[in-house]
Amino acid sequence: MSAPLPRRDQPTRRRFLGDMAAGLGGIALASLLDADGLLAGEDESSPIRPVIDPAQPYAPRVPHFAARAKNVLVVFCSGACSQIDTFDYKPELVQRHDQPLPGGENLRTFQSVQGNLQRSPWTFRPRGECGKMITDLVPRIGALADDLCFVHSLTSKTNTHGPGENFVSTGNILDGFPSMGAWVTYALGSENRELPAYVAIPDPRGTPQSSVNNWGAGFLPAAYQGTDFNAARPIRNLARPTAVGEPTDRATRLFLDRLNTRFNDRYPGDTELAARVASYQLAARMQLSVPAVSDLSTEPKSTFALYGADDAENPLMAAFARNCILARRLIERGVRFVQLFNGAYQTGGEGVSNWDGHKKLAEQYAKHGPILDQPVSGLLTDLKQRGLLEETLVVWCTEFGRMPTFQKGASGRDHNPRGFTCWLAGAGVKAPFSYGATDEFGYEAVENVRTVHDLHATILHLLGLDHRRLTFYHNGLERRLTDVHGHVIHEVVS
Amino acid sequence: MTSVRARPSLTSLLVLVASATTSRLPADEIDFVDDVQPVFAKHCTACHGPQAQESGLRLDDRALLLRGGDSGEPAVVLGKPARSYLLRVVAGKDDLKMPPEGKPLSPEEVGVIHDWIRQGAKMPAELSGQPTKSKGSDHWSFQPLAATPPPRPRHAFVSGGNPVDAFVLRGLVERGLEPSPRADRRTRVRRLYLVMHGLPPTRAEINEFLNDDRPDAWARLVDRVLASPRYGERWAQHWFDVVRFGETHGFETNRERPNAWPYRDYVIRSLNEDEPYDQFVREQLAGDALGEPVGTGFLVAGPYDLVKGGGNLAAVQRMNELDDMINTTGTAFLGLTLGCARCHNHKFDPVTQTDYYAVQAVFAGVQHGDARLPVSPETQTRITSLDREIGKLAERLSRFEVGARTTSDSDRTKAPPVNPRHNVETFQPVRARFVRFVIEETSRSQPCIDELEVFAGDENVAAASRGARATASGSLAGYAIHELAHVNDGKYGNAHSWICDKPTGWVQIELPETKTIDRIEWARDREGRYSDRLPVRYRIDVAVQPDKWRTVASSADHRPRAQAADRPSEPEYDFTGLPKAEAAQGRSWLNRLQAARAERAAIAKTGPAYVGRFTQPGETHRLFRGEPDQKREVVAPNAVVALGTLDLKPRALEQRRRIALANWIADDCNPLTARVVVNRLWQHHFGEGLVDTPSDFGANGTRPTHPELLDWLAGRLIAENWSLKSVHRLILTSSTWQQASRPSPRGTEVDGATRLLWRFPPRRLEAEAIRDSMLAVSGVLDQRMGGPGFSGFEVQRENVRHFFPKKTYGPEDWRRMVYMTKVRQEQESVFGAFDCPDGGQGVAKRSRSTTPLQALNLFNSTFVVEQSELFARRLADEVPESDVARAALAYELAFGRPAAADEASAALSFANEHGWPALCRALLNANEFVFVP
Repeated sequence: MSAPLPRRDQPTRRRFLGDMAAGLGGIALASLLDADGLLAGEDESSPIRPVIDPAQPYAPRVPHFAARAKNVLVVFCSGACSQIDTFDYKPELVQRHDQPLPGGENLRTFQSVQGNLQRSPWTFRPRGECGKMITDLVPRIGALADDLCFVHSLTSKTNTHGPGENFVSTGNILDGFPSMGAWVTYALGSENRELPAYVAIPDPRGTPQSSVNNWGAGFLPAAYQGTDFNAARPIRNLARPTAVGEPTDRATRLFLDRLNTRFNDRYPGDTELAARVASYQLAARMQLSVPAVSDLSTEPKSTFALYGADDAENPLMAAFARNCILARRLIERGVRFVQLFNGAYQTGGEGVSNWDGHKKLAEQYAKHGPILDQPVSGLLTDLKQRGLLEETLVVWCTEFGRMPTFQKGASGRDHNPRGFTCWLAGAGVKAPFSYGATDEFGYEAVENVRTVHDLHATILHLLGLDHRRLTFYHNGLERRLTDVHGHVIHEVVS
Repeated sequence: MTSVRARPSLTSLLVLVASATTSRLPADEIDFVDDVQPVFAKHCTACHGPQAQESGLRLDDRALLLRGGDSGEPAVVLGKPARSYLLRVVAGKDDLKMPPEGKPLSPEEVGVIHDWIRQGAKMPAELSGQPTKSKGSDHWSFQPLAATPPPRPRHAFVSGGNPVDAFVLRGLVERGLEPSPRADRRTRVRRLYLVMHGLPPTRAEINEFLNDDRPDAWARLVDRVLASPRYGERWAQHWFDVVRFGETHGFETNRERPNAWPYRDYVIRSLNEDEPYDQFVREQLAGDALGEPVGTGFLVAGPYDLVKGGGNLAAVQRMNELDDMINTTGTAFLGLTLGCARCHNHKFDPVTQTDYYAVQAVFAGVQHGDARLPVSPETQTRITSLDREIGKLAERLSRFEVGARTTSDSDRTKAPPVNPRHNVETFQPVRARFVRFVIEETSRSQPCIDELEVFAGDENVAAASRGARATASGSLAGYAIHELAHVNDGKYGNAHSWICDKPTGWVQIELPETKTIDRIEWARDREGRYSDRLPVRYRIDVAVQPDKWRTVASSADHRPRAQAADRPSEPEYDFTGLPKAEAAQGRSWLNRLQAARAERAAIAKTGPAYVGRFTQPGETHRLFRGEPDQKREVVAPNAVVALGTLDLKPRALEQRRRIALANWIADDCNPLTARVVVNRLWQHHFGEGLVDTPSDFGANGTRPTHPELLDWLAGRLIAENWSLKSVHRLILTSSTWQQASRPSPRGTEVDGATRLLWRFPPRRLEAEAIRDSMLAVSGVLDQRMGGPGFSGFEVQRENVRHFFPKKTYGPEDWRRMVYMTKVRQEQESVFGAFDCPDGGQGVAKRSRSTTPLQALNLFNSTFVVEQSELFARRLADEVPESDVARAALAYELAFGRPAAADEASAALSFANEHGWPALCRALLNANEFVFVP
């Protein structure tokens, strides 16, 4: 490039005019590093902005350094799944059951003042060879404890669901910031040229609180937005219009190609025009590949049984299990980032369709536990037996934690951003392992206190990305997933 | 959380310091050179001295010490060691510990610094420093506009004498580039309409230009295009991106904001009327003071969290609301990222943390919410005079009312139909101690009465304040605003009303003593907002002794309610059978009455609008690290001090704060405002601004490609009384704009991004323009302007709103997309994928991505398939024969050009085989259709 003209954002199509010949037909690897990044290679804090050919926004790109994981699968429990009733074992809470939380007299959390400490309605038992204490609410996940790496000391900046989901999914409590998946696909592109690089799988019951903001592209190019579909609901406008017959549809594509070829001749070498042609071709491939990946009928019965997808007794679990099978099929095909949601707000707030157990925790979690447990344990088991865990990072998370007390006059737990649990599994992760701790009641993180930014930094690190250097220029700032925060939790890396 | 721990304990600090200073007499004079400098040299100077200034802090300059580093916290507060950040960090009493590594300062060393600060931090004169010049204030964009005269090269390119071309040509020549030839007329007219209107030109518009052989045909076309209201609709959209305009609140509930659209109409109108931009700026910050109250919709156009956290979180939410206003004001008008100074001094620009909180103080009284817009004083005068006239006319006309001449009609004597706003029951005077209103039926659900008034002469004897007592058959539980006491509390409106617990029931007033009464007045809602819960069948009983009831009035005394039940019905007039002259007179009065009513309704219509509410705020403090519980000194409302000041007291009146800021931003001398807006105009003409970081003109933004041109345009804007259309005219009539867009090998090689404008850069249309263009081509575009928008979604109205894409479309969806209700966080299901911002953050420049989802949406969506069918129907209407002429018309409508012979014949044979809708579907998906040529 001989024009050192001032410009700030990512290169547009015209910087690629010279590369055009290589551009369209095959998917060439545009894994160059930005010239700025290369030149500034010695400076360990300078931005590394991926160089993206607008004609091939999903071309695979190299990470900053050797990656431990190639793909990410996030299991997100919407509604704030209680650490107290799942993974954060506190014998003292059992001892002090029904006594006041010391220092909690005047504590007012999100919804209410506090009643007394309450042990979990579910018993903790040692699981796996490592003997990790996990409740009877999620026994099958518990059985895989030897493959899991717990972080018990996460903290959030907010105690409200929408901002909480935004924070975990985008690193910012406000709307409009790029999601983690968007950042990752922006950095790395995709290994699959027939499927979207980034797929969000909403719960069968509907979308989470913050809905599309969980998988939005924010200010990143729209190409990096998550495409949302699940086993029951296909991509919008994927199918051929019902009014149009197949031969006509095919002929129309061909005719459109001819129109475009003729027009593009007026602008030789214009990649934006060429990219539109390519996008119709990918769309046509997706029209075949997405129904194919979503068609679970080719899976053997044993898979359905493993995930619980054939369970007639619990249709909600079976439906979520089908989403879990879909997640595995996507990962298997090289989709870079899959975000699998458990719980929704559309079909009932406050604990009805999600983990927001304010008032009737025992009753509600008794429903949600099984919906999560077998499908996710099945998914982990399946990924492992297929060797996919070696290159896939699995992250189980939720928006924040819940109180060790019940709300005054109710039988459920209020929101608690001061300490909560997530777990990691798979590529690059130390397991079995538990990191960080909350206090003796599970209320506040006290040992190795960590933020959501740290979790993000760690995920990027495992993908071979330096969270301080993966940036996008927007409104006067080199924006990052981790804002100006974040430290890699090296202790959880194997 | 951390903030709690961050607060240094004053007592512990003093204890520590006291123990450290035992060896020293309090009166000892600390000498900087002998006592302090060695401590600094040992622990601090390597990072905070002449060689390096980590975090912008330097300890060998007194002025810089007093200012502090990037944290925004003064390092030293004279005489106040405990409040001095320097002392806190070296004494280990802060989250931040200094030095970060190595041995901490000894208690004695801390004591030295403590005493030195207490004694006034004296330093030798040569270290006293200058009153600091702000970092970065010599940056180009903060300098006054340079008045560089345009160069005068000799070249056909500049023969039109437009200085824009002279500046552009100079840039090209410097790089050895040649401009492109002028584009042909068809290309130019299509480009012009697409860029300026976001719609393709009609055939008539194309032909008018093609057939205009006057020498100034282009300038005339430009004028026509600028005069069209389509211009405002198109360019308002660009502004809405910048100011994060949305019509839902965002955040988790994402509820509708149904009264946000007046701001949308205001922007469109302002642009169409070419309101001077400086005035446009002022109105958006302080329109309430300038007779344009809708303008402040700008301040509250952003997201708003309806779910409030408690305590500290609520304070953070409020800070975020204000941050949104501060940041949008900074970026939209000034190209300054003020938001970066919330937690510390700006890293690149001369914006201190104090500046940030000074601007926060300007907005501290702005709250999100609707306001009912006042009518102007002139309008009020007119309304009063119309009311007088209406009253007079109605009285004169009363003798023509239907029934007025036929005494047999019993309804004539009756009271008007029962209505929610006000009802009067009159009866023969009767003695009463108890008055009971018995409700037998309502218009809907449990009955509501906002006030029940019982009159003895002119005196309302039912008022609680006069000792009357209310009882009822029952009252709706759980609503403080609907308790029984409200039925006679003297307050009107729904917020002070009684609602019965059951659909039928009674409310009773016991007067303090027996009175002779002759009238009862009551209403559902005298403020006129609610019309449900209206008692429609009822009776009013009175008694002197308990339970000796006598009915004095009932709903039967009223004329029956009309079909449009909740509105007082208009009388009907009858002029038949009257002498000609009298009937004519009556008709003329009636015409005038109707005209007066219509005018009144039109001018008095000031619905609520989402323009914010303004209250006098308390003091604003600087917040250490931006944390609400870390309050520091009080900050007065102000501008960015390095660029100007407002001279306001901390307690200045709320509105005056915004006026002052608005005047400062809109001042002819503000170096940023004009530059930023002409750059935005340039950007939407050429796809990229002269500065390609359009909302950041600070040091972290880029420098302009053509600095003199930018300044020259900004100067012209001001000289033309801030007329945006005058700048458009300059740009549009330039050779630069009219160039062909075909790439040249040389241009591509030297300047692939076309920043130097060796051609007109072609580009894909935005979402709105694609959708609008489809509607225009298919012939169904509804050009109705203004008013409430149409929805792209079906809304599931739970506490948390859910938006589902519409499945079917009809004429109500065929208005321009700028009138589609802008839902935050959700993308419109077909066009949203074309990089539509989601309204969460201001977007100065949309990304322009190309994705398979766009292709799927455009190729397969119901909307586009329907438009293809409508397009095909239009073709068939205009050319009934399915022949080559119809194919030619399809090309002309879609691409604004005639089809080549082979194109037309190919199109015809395709259409004959697969149908005309299939051809139209292909055309609407074509690159040629969605590209600005």
